[in-house]
Amino acid sequence: MTQPPSSIMGHTLRRVIFFVLVTLTTLIALGLLVSVFQPDGFSPMELLLLLLYTILFAWICISFWTAFMGFWVLLFGRDRWAISRQSPDTSPDPMAAPPRTAILMPIYNEDSERVFAGLRAIHRSLATTGQLDRFDFFILSDTRDPDVWVEEELRWQDMVRALDGKGRIFYRNRPENTSRKSGNLEDFCTRWGGRYRYMIVLDADSIMQGETLVEMVRLMELHPRVALIQTPPVPVNRESLFARILQFASSLYGRMFTAGLNYWQLGESNYWGHNAIIRIQPFLDYCGLPKLPGREPFGGEILSHDFVEAALLRRAGWEVWLAYDLVGSYEEIPPTLIDYAKRDRRWCQGNLQHLRLAFSKGLNALSRLHFLMGVMSYAASPLWLLFLIATGVEAYLQTQQELVYFFGENWQPVWPVSFAVEMTTVLLVTLTMLFLPKLLALLLLLKDRQLRRAYGGMLGATLSVLLETIFSVLTAPVLMLFQTKFVLAILMRKAVGWPPQQRGDHQTGFTEAVLAHGGHTLIGVVAGVLSYLYVPAFFWWFIPVLLGLGLAIPVSMLSSSMALGRRARQWGLFMTPEETESPTVLRDLEDGLRENEPVLPVLRETPSSRFVQVLIDPYVNALHRSLLPEREPPGKRRRHYLEGLIHQLEEEGPNSLSPTQKRELIAEPETLLRLHALFWSRPPAKMML
Amino acid sequence: MDRRPVNTLRSSLATPFGPPLLERLQAYWMALGVSDPNLALALSEQTLRRLPDFPEEGEIAARAIIAAGELLDDWLAAALGLPRPSPALTAARAALLSGIVPEWPAALFAPPGAAGIALERLRAAIAEPTPAPSPGSMPAQRIEPLWKRS
Repeated sequence: MTQPPSSIMGHTLRRVIFFVLVTLTTLIALGLLVSVFQPDGFSPMELLLLLLYTILFAWICISFWTAFMGFWVLLFGRDRWAISRQSPDTSPDPMAAPPRTAILMPIYNEDSERVFAGLRAIHRSLATTGQLDRFDFFILSDTRDPDVWVEEELRWQDMVRALDGKGRIFYRNRPENTSRKSGNLEDFCTRWGGRYRYMIVLDADSIMQGETLVEMVRLMELHPRVALIQTPPVPVNRESLFARILQFASSLYGRMFTAGLNYWQLGESNYWGHNAIIRIQPFLDYCGLPKLPGREPFGGEILSHDFVEAALLRRAGWEVWLAYDLVGSYEEIPPTLIDYAKRDRRWCQGNLQHLRLAFSKGLNALSRLHFLMGVMSYAASPLWLLFLIATGVEAYLQTQQELVYFFGENWQPVWPVSFAVEMTTVLLVTLTMLFLPKLLALLLLLKDRQLRRAYGGMLGATLSVLLETIFSVLTAPVLMLFQTKFVLAILMRKAVGWPPQQRGDHQTGFTEAVLAHGGHTLIGVVAGVLSYLYVPAFFWWFIPVLLGLGLAIPVSMLSSSMALGRRARQWGLFMTPEETESPTVLRDLEDGLRENEPVLPVLRETPSSRFVQVLIDPYVNALHRSLLPEREPPGKRRRHYLEGLIHQLEEEGPNSLSPTQKRELIAEPETLLRLHALFWSRPPAKMML
Repeated sequence: MDRRPVNTLRSSLATPFGPPLLERLQAYWMALGVSDPNLALALSEQTLRRLPDFPEEGEIAARAIIAAGELLDDWLAAALGLPRPSPALTAARAALLSGIVPEWPAALFAPPGAAGIALERLRAAIAEPTPAPSPGSMPAQRIEPLWKRS
């Protein structure tokens, strides 16, 4: 199952080239900065600046050279070592039974209507390939909210009825959501993993084309040494200005970055947690996650499991690929800047934990790099902030030095040496590394007329890139402060919860914006005043950062606007291929959400509470009870506790109970039946709800 | 299991329970999908016959509602050949109440063999939330820091 030596050599050569380029560029930029500081010797502040600059510049370099390699790959055609282009390792046995694949949708308190509309769209798309019978669907619910739980059950049953999916579309809700998403998947693997050769893991907002799913299975069949193939999910479907800008950027630049990542990572790529196919047996054998010794944030449960699972598969000798050229893989992104930050808050702790994992025994070098890149995704923000502060302080210290033109007996003045050229070069190099990939992505459009049209034409795309650049400059300081706050909170062991994302489009109100960004604005104003008063020369360089912070509230509010997002679309701005010509699977999703014609009559009503409905409605009650796992009857203490909750419900109504208490009541079949009977046994006037 | 033909005459009721309870039961049977009020009343009477003559005070009505469900389960178990009690039976009750068999009393109380199609539809509508288990083990991997001696 190993690759031919020519491939191995080629792979090594690519990585050598990549890392030599990253190292050389970093050293050159560092050399320029050293030449500025060196004549007077290095002060501690200058040494700090050099250290920070080296780390941050190397980080930018990795991104730049990845994009640059992706640019060449896309310019000259496809990568010959891409997993989709490799010759098969084995010839498929035509007599063998086709592999079975489970499509997994782990969910946690999500919008059920959207989740099931997405699954139906995927199901329909898969049906058009004629290979639907090779796939089973699993809705793996970790939902804790009782209303959402009941809604999920009804939507599942409705989907089964509508698509004749009995025995193919499954649903289960875990009694305890131990180890969150990784525990959810582990539960699937250990209970039903033996039935399937592959699993395709989705996220609640994932959408995948049937052809893509079939192709993923085909590639896995052709390459038995491969344990995981990740597809690049393209963000789609959002209408707010913020999300449309991000969708455009991810789509236009993302294709270059993923091609570049594949160029140097090859079979040692990474797993992003969803829109990926996994060979179940090696996953069972090597991806059981331990609890790390010690306390959070670096100990305890492994939060960001995907990187770790990829590293463990690599450690066991399996290949992990990024199929950058597989299209038809989509996801949805947070609709507003604040929701984006909330998502960051969830991810941040898991990524920081990677700092410890990067130095674990037996890992592949690239796996260690993936971990460190994960850490840097968030650690870069406090480092940038520190760098900005140190630069400001250094600039202030420089202004405090008196210039001396005559030294000792020397009658000729010694003019101060200007390092403006070097400093400007450092700045230009940094800006080039940051912004050149955007230009390269635009240049790629010149090559392909159809693609150019899909991005709104050359003029529209250029204008969009320009506006996106301005927008990213304005929002970068805000995200820097958000992420710095998260990192510090996690390091100080302040609780970082995992609130469910608000995934649907919605607008940021003034109060929400002030609460989220008031501090940013204040910091911007104070930093602006201080720098203007004490380091005026620095103030002008600092303007982009100050503007971003000062305008955080209006930018956050305006960018959350769906009206502005739609208007921009009318003007042909931030267009993506998926918007220009929507793929069938996305159109099906949109139609499903718009029409929403359930088969089950009970779903046509919109009760005030599904929790109340499950107590009252005989059908909903029976369905819910039939889906509860078999378990031992509750003990005496537990019965007393539930009895107390029943009394509370009777006397004070459902609103007096917390979601957890409501869940406890409906998670126990006997209690649920009793509540149902209690409701129906009362005369209407005395009904408890 | 009481599968005697349902007597729709209220006068046949010979239990110590009063009209309010009977009305509640009737309403419940109608919520279960029995559209004929007389039949619902007769089923209520039959339900009450299942209760002990001197039930405990307090939750008599609730006990009667549960008994109505048990009566339904008895018929379902007999019609579909399902063990009682069983998760499959609860699922069958859910399927029946989902409206998949309109006017289900006609199907359940029909002579054996007369309601084949309706029962087949019911059987097909019984939810199958998860497949049969095919378990595998997933041992926790060792992740140790580089500096730890093995």
